Amino acid sequence: MSATHDDAPVAARVRHVEALLEQRGWLAPGEIDERIDAFAAGGSPAHGAAITARAWVDPGFRARLLADANTAIGELGYSMAGGLQEQQLTVVANSEDEHHVVVCTLCSCYPIALLGPSPGWYRSEAYRSRVVREPRAVLRDFGVELPATTRITVWDASAESRYMVLPRRPDATEGLDETALAGLVTRKGLIGTAVV
Amino acid sequence: MADRFAPGDRVRTRIADPPHHTRLPRYARGAHGEVVGTAGHHPLADERARGLASAPRAVYHVRFRAADLFGEGDHAVVLELWEDYLEPTGEETRP
Amino acid sequence: MSRINDVGGMLGFPAVVEEPDEPAFHADWEAHVVALNAALLRRGVYDLDEFRDAIERMPPQEYLASSYYEKWFRAITTLLAEKGIATPAELAGELAGG
Repeated sequence: MSATHDDAPVAARVRHVEALLEQRGWLAPGEIDERIDAFAAGGSPAHGAAITARAWVDPGFRARLLADANTAIGELGYSMAGGLQEQQLTVVANSEDEHHVVVCTLCSCYPIALLGPSPGWYRSEAYRSRVVREPRAVLRDFGVELPATTRITVWDASAESRYMVLPRRPDATEGLDETALAGLVTRKGLIGTAVV
Repeated sequence: MADRFAPGDRVRTRIADPPHHTRLPRYARGAHGEVVGTAGHHPLADERARGLASAPRAVYHVRFRAADLFGEGDHAVVLELWEDYLEPTGEETRP
Repeated sequence: MSRINDVGGMLGFPAVVEEPDEPAFHADWEAHVVALNAALLRRGVYDLDEFRDAIERMPPQEYLASSYYEKWFRAITTLLAEKGIATPAELAGELAGG
């Protein structure tokens, strides 16, 4: 892990390659800093939370979201077009008897344009190897114990779509407005390793 | 060209391990599953990774029982797979 | 190819551990690597599948010993060399007065 070993040599090498590419015209001056700022200002789990809350209070929106997520999130001003090209977003809804979990076993595909950078555990070999094979055990790593009767579906992002889980609305939240509901939604809930 | 598969079709994934980048994970090779959705048309990753021109072709959501992938487990796994990775099994499940 | 990245279903990896209050990046250079990759993809120096392929071609023991963004940087320099943008020696900083 980068936090546990000395990364000064790699930091120096990155600076060197950047300078070399800039010198040869493969990078524009200031381009890297602009991209870093744009990335930081891009996706956020708050966007997924807002989408979830709207789906909880508006059945029409929920139906549109599950049928064509890219168009539906546009209603709230969000898009999957943050990268090289717009990516297809597929939203899968948890229900009383089915729970969804998202992974990318081959690399680390994640809806970055919408939700921002993925958490480190999502990119770990431990998560990627185990969740397709023993999702209940992995969910227990996260402190989640689902009823034995709940069917689990794991979505492996092996091609071009990116996935977001639509969590179930918690009980006894009838009195909450959309903003308060969004406040209940976590990043893990949007990946499927938590219930909301 | 018409798509080769439609939701409800039973398919089997390719067994061979190609000598290059691919997006069919080894745990899902030679496995029987069901097409449960379509995921657009995209150039094949195997070809793009080698710098080859690649025409868009159909990509599907294919659902597998964990027991059919690992010999155990009561869950399901859905992968998104290019049609190149799939062949029909001949099993008729569509009404 | 069944390469080291293809870990789905493998047994033996440990429990999943979350990092509390995890930052988007643990060091500035990681953000620079992400930006560098985005710039080179945008310029068409290589495509995303070539980038993934370059990560997957890492020797397995190095893949497993490298952090996430170390893998990325390794793939970027591999591709820059293969595409003739710079030699491995230039990328390693071994020229320009040594």
